[in-house]
Amino acid sequence: MNAALVIFKKELAGFFKSPLFYFLSFMMTILLSILFSISLDKFAQTSSNAMLQFGMQPQLLNIHYSVFLPHLSIINLIFIFLIPALTMKLISEEKKLRTFDLLLTSPVSSASIVMGKYFAALSVILALIIVSFIYPFVSRRVFEFSWLPTLVAALGIFLVAAVYTSMNLFASSLTENSLVAFVLSIVFNLSVWFVGAANESFDEPLLKAVLEHISLNNHLAGLIEGTIRTSGLIFFFSLIFLFCFITERVIESSRWRA
Amino acid sequence: MIEVSHLSKKYGEHQAISDLNFTIQKGEVVGFLGPNGAGKSTTMKIITGFMAPSGGEAKICGFDVFENPIEVKKRIGYLPETPPLYADMLVEDYLKYVAQLKLVPKDKIKSYVASALKKTQLTEVKNRLIQNLSKGFKQRVGIAQALVSRPEVLILDEPTVGLDPKQVSEIRDLIRDLRGDHTIILSTHILPEVQVTCDKVIIIHEGKIVAQETIDQIEKMNQDFVLLTVKTKRSSSIELQLKNIEGVSHVEVVSSQHYRVKLIEQDNVIEKIASEVIKSGSGLMELSPSRANLEDVFLKLTYGQNKVEV
Repeated sequence: MNAALVIFKKELAGFFKSPLFYFLSFMMTILLSILFSISLDKFAQTSSNAMLQFGMQPQLLNIHYSVFLPHLSIINLIFIFLIPALTMKLISEEKKLRTFDLLLTSPVSSASIVMGKYFAALSVILALIIVSFIYPFVSRRVFEFSWLPTLVAALGIFLVAAVYTSMNLFASSLTENSLVAFVLSIVFNLSVWFVGAANESFDEPLLKAVLEHISLNNHLAGLIEGTIRTSGLIFFFSLIFLFCFITERVIESSRWRA
Repeated sequence: MIEVSHLSKKYGEHQAISDLNFTIQKGEVVGFLGPNGAGKSTTMKIITGFMAPSGGEAKICGFDVFENPIEVKKRIGYLPETPPLYADMLVEDYLKYVAQLKLVPKDKIKSYVASALKKTQLTEVKNRLIQNLSKGFKQRVGIAQALVSRPEVLILDEPTVGLDPKQVSEIRDLIRDLRGDHTIILSTHILPEVQVTCDKVIIIHEGKIVAQETIDQIEKMNQDFVLLTVKTKRSSSIELQLKNIEGVSHVEVVSSQHYRVKLIEQDNVIEKIASEVIKSGSGLMELSPSRANLEDVFLKLTYGQNKVEV
């Protein structure tokens, strides 16, 4: 456990010392700033002449639905590409530079290695989510709204990001080449959304139910609406655990594989 | 301290090492010798618990490397062929990180790092990024990394590669200083290094141990094959006379003034040869026995056609 903390600290420091991290966060905040102000402006216009628009969906008059959710979905979209860039080097670079030998010949269990690296990446992503929360926070000065649904939705995005991180850490453990890890990670991140889409194309009820249950989209939808369901949380945590576990197995396997 | 029995490793079809047996006592410095691809690194990787053997077992301080890797890893410092360095870290921070990984108690980390820096003479560059260091310095950081936790067993895979002659001798001195406190295994194909630093040599060839002796014993190993160079002032034809001396196994005529004589026995024979040359009146200029050294033994054991009985 101690060793996991040592690795965690080292990796976290590594993130904050790397120019790549600052570049990526810079790009992310620029994108969010532009898009958030556009949608906020639009919302302000719609709500100012709400009386004139009878046929409109009531959801569009809710800041949570018309501003914050698009904001979070953009964050999600950015994360699909940004998390692979952050995590691609976590293990593959160690293998390439042979520093992996140091970890494997230190009194450190594979689980500690995975945990240290995983939580370091997760903390960085949490930091990014907190930064992106400045936008709703600032709009609080202009609009009155309830915090909780937004917080729950952000929790949803954080959980999805945590799933990405675990999958991408796994991708990084598979190869020595960080570019391969990057591409593979994006494929993983995109494919979780396709599982939900596959749901539509089947008629068999059992298969439909299974697909529905393993669809990330479905579980996220609840959180987006502001409801926390234990089944959803269990689903997210088991996905995270699954990928961390197989990453641990991959690392462990390098001890006995030739 | 280190017990290895019937150790073998296969990479697919390729048998990297087979049936290695040796024990190393506490405080010994042991040299691992062998040509490229003989299985030195493989053996070291197994001993460090980095890789699992295909058969046999290795024990360090009584702990099996495969059954109880964490206990083993607490007790070893390992310098792999490529030093495991993070290019974007400062030398000092890197050593601190390694010390933490090796579970050095918190209050001792600072002093351990400082002494590792001092021993490897890195104190001046401790605040530089590893990527900006030269190859020799990087190698030294690698050695410092193996030392920093003060392990009972030090395993160094070609520690002096890439160093300049002065640094090489410094590292050799360092290894000599560490003798006694640590058990050290070092692999190399630089023979003088072994002669200078090691108590014992294990020569590996094609995955098998071909010799496992102390340095003295190895040097004695083919003393019955002393080669004597005889040079005379004037041309002479003493080949036959020399051949007739008891103990001479072979005479090679380089020129009429220069002979190479192979002896089976030592002292008396040389004396007889000397008197024989003087008797012939050709004027003895030079009579120099070249003792078999480690290099000859090494070459014979590894590249020779099994002519030498070990």
